[in-house]
Amino acid sequence: MITLPSYLFISFMLFACGLAVMMARKNIVAILLGIELILNSAALNFAAYTKFINQNLDGHIMSLFIIVIAAAEAAVGLAIVIRFYQIKESIHIDDATQLQS
Amino acid sequence: MDYTVLTVAPIVLLPFLAFVINSFIVKRFTSLAVAISCGAIFGSFLFACRIFKDFVFGTYATDAYVHKFFNWIDLSFGSEIFQINLGIYIDNMTAVMLLMVTGVATLIHVFSSWYMHDDIRYGRFFVYMSLFTSAMLGLVLSDNLLSVFIFWELMGFCSYSLIGFYYEKESAGNASIKAFMTTRVGDVFFLLGILAIWSVVGSVSFVDLYAAISAGKFEGIMALGIPVVTLAGFSIFMGTIGKSAQFPLQVWLPDAMQGPTPCSALIHAATMVAAGVYLSLRAYPLMEAAGMLPYIAYIGAITAFGAATIALIQTDIKAVLAYSTISQLGYMVLGIGVGSYNAAFMHLITHAIFKACLFLAAGSVIHNLHDPHTHAGVQEMPRMGGLKNKLKFTWIAMWCCTLAIAGIPFFSGFVSKDRILGDALLMALQNKWFIAPTILGFVAALLTAFYMCRMMFLTFHGQPRDKELYDHCHEEHLTWNSNVPLLVLSVFTLGIWFSGSLTGQGLVKVAGDRYEWFQTLIHKPVAKKFETYQRQEFGSEDIKSGVNFPRAVYDYNHGLSEEEAHHVHSVHKIGAVLSIFIAFSGVFLAFLMYVRRSVDPGWWVSTFSGWYKALKNKYYFDDLYIGGLIKRGLLPLNNLLAAFDMGIYDRYAIDGWEAVNRVCYKASRWFDDLIVDTVAVDGTGASVRLFNLVLRTIQSGKIQFYFLMIVIVLAGYAWKLVIN
Repeated sequence: MITLPSYLFISFMLFACGLAVMMARKNIVAILLGIELILNSAALNFAAYTKFINQNLDGHIMSLFIIVIAAAEAAVGLAIVIRFYQIKESIHIDDATQLQS
Repeated sequence: MDYTVLTVAPIVLLPFLAFVINSFIVKRFTSLAVAISCGAIFGSFLFACRIFKDFVFGTYATDAYVHKFFNWIDLSFGSEIFQINLGIYIDNMTAVMLLMVTGVATLIHVFSSWYMHDDIRYGRFFVYMSLFTSAMLGLVLSDNLLSVFIFWELMGFCSYSLIGFYYEKESAGNASIKAFMTTRVGDVFFLLGILAIWSVVGSVSFVDLYAAISAGKFEGIMALGIPVVTLAGFSIFMGTIGKSAQFPLQVWLPDAMQGPTPCSALIHAATMVAAGVYLSLRAYPLMEAAGMLPYIAYIGAITAFGAATIALIQTDIKAVLAYSTISQLGYMVLGIGVGSYNAAFMHLITHAIFKACLFLAAGSVIHNLHDPHTHAGVQEMPRMGGLKNKLKFTWIAMWCCTLAIAGIPFFSGFVSKDRILGDALLMALQNKWFIAPTILGFVAALLTAFYMCRMMFLTFHGQPRDKELYDHCHEEHLTWNSNVPLLVLSVFTLGIWFSGSLTGQGLVKVAGDRYEWFQTLIHKPVAKKFETYQRQEFGSEDIKSGVNFPRAVYDYNHGLSEEEAHHVHSVHKIGAVLSIFIAFSGVFLAFLMYVRRSVDPGWWVSTFSGWYKALKNKYYFDDLYIGGLIKRGLLPLNNLLAAFDMGIYDRYAIDGWEAVNRVCYKASRWFDDLIVDTVAVDGTGASVRLFNLVLRTIQSGKIQFYFLMIVIVLAGYAWKLVIN
């Protein structure tokens, strides 16, 4: 039987990995990937709690929302990255230190 | 009778607007400026004609009036009333006065456009003339003493500028200062009088003054141990003395001859000196209540006589006219003093006309008679003579005026002067205090006839005494702006315009009562009437428009009983006969002396040498004022004050402050440098720079650093939650 702490542990691990990726990687695409991991950990939390505590479908619906938002966010983020690459010819995060070029 | 702002204000405002416009355009468009000035005063004349028509040909009632006012200053709060109203007050006297002032001023303006034409400041002259006339018209229309005073001072300023018009001449500058300062003595008293009236009546308007006198508000109020009414009456009359050049303050008027001749005509006839007498006439109930009348009569008689004697020996044609002006003003004041209100006012009008004409004629003589060497106009009568062949029109006009001023029957001067003298004689018979003024008045009449004819004979008759000058004189041609004003004015020196009868008393009727309009309409203000008086604000409908005033009828007996009237008339008859006799004997004496040469003027000079010397020195008044009062009294005082100013005030107070200031300056500079600049200003800058150093390090722009900060902060919160 898989219990709630197991889910939460997985979720925490996902969150920690995402955070580590965001903090450590210098590649902007990798940072976006880290954000996706964090969002997924949140979605997993919703699903776990609604299964063991609420026992209805609210959390699942919220998970679906999060997946949609993640997709939208990835689209916007990748667009920004492409534009940034066109300007700077780089996707290194330390090149994005100025508010205006 | 609709009297709104639009129908009355233009009388004052047209010349004033001309003044304002001309001040700007006079340098570039001189001819236009002159045309504007003349046009403006002619416009005023038309408006004045309309008022005259309303009052004299229309309403024709003794107590017709239009009084409108607006609130000028209102500082009252609660029950404390403090209001000053300005307004217009038009009665029969104002209507006549307005017509006279505007008419005479129009002719003088026209004449000036000829006389001043070659002057370098041709245009500027008209600027002053416009302001002058507008001030006089404002004064005539005023319903209260305060605005009278304002216009009065404005005229003082204009006379100052006009007398000093040829400011290159030192004498002209001195004369203008003398005129201004002398009239100022009277003005100060006038202002005091206004304050005295204000303190009792609580208003400065004439109608309130009359009402207060009638209601007995002045009774029992004392100041400095004198009744306030006497104080007020005396002070107001001092204003007249200053402005109308009466006895102690007459010194400025002869010197005012330094101005251009047309402005002398304006000052001496229509405006400046008339204003003083006009004020006394307006304030007549006050003078009566103050018991000032004998004093006024004495002042007038002394002035009339003294000025006439000085005029006997003058050789400058304008000086003769100047002294004759003082003398005639003395007659007007004498007329007020003996209660001859109507005659005094009539003399004011008739004198304005013939004296304006005389001055313009003198101007014509001076302008035509150029010195062949210096090209300056000649005023000295000993260099003239025989000019009647060359200056025909001037000669005719000047004779008309001379006969008028001398008091020859059928001329206006006779009508008015004879009535003043007749009333004086009447008073002398009733009250022995009036005997001396009456005798002086009659003697002055003799002298007037004499010196005026002397002037005429010396100027126009006999052989030319300076042949070169005579040959150089222009032949006079009839031009519209040089001779026509003279001839128009000389027509109005005829007595028939003012009185239908020979003497002005209705005694020898020539044209019947119908033509006695002047005597019928002009009356002393009856103070009683003003107690139930309706005031009216500007903009409201005329109260009087629906009311029909009772039409005035000429009263042969002047409201007296048959017996009293008979007495009055017989005295007047004696006075008239005496006047005629005196006038003709004056003319005859001048004829003997200067035409027949059977009486030698030199004999008179040597016989009365002491008096001659006094006359030469104008009774030593200038010596007394300038030599005595100013040099002995005022100058040492001024020097003392200057010494105090330089020695004490400058040295200790001002220089002492300088030392104090220097110390303060040093202290404040030290404070400024050290505390304010170094510590406060630079310290602020340094602290900002310090924080900048610290805060700049965390604003790196590296996004992962920001993540780290967020994580650290969130972790801090989470840690906090865990321990709690």
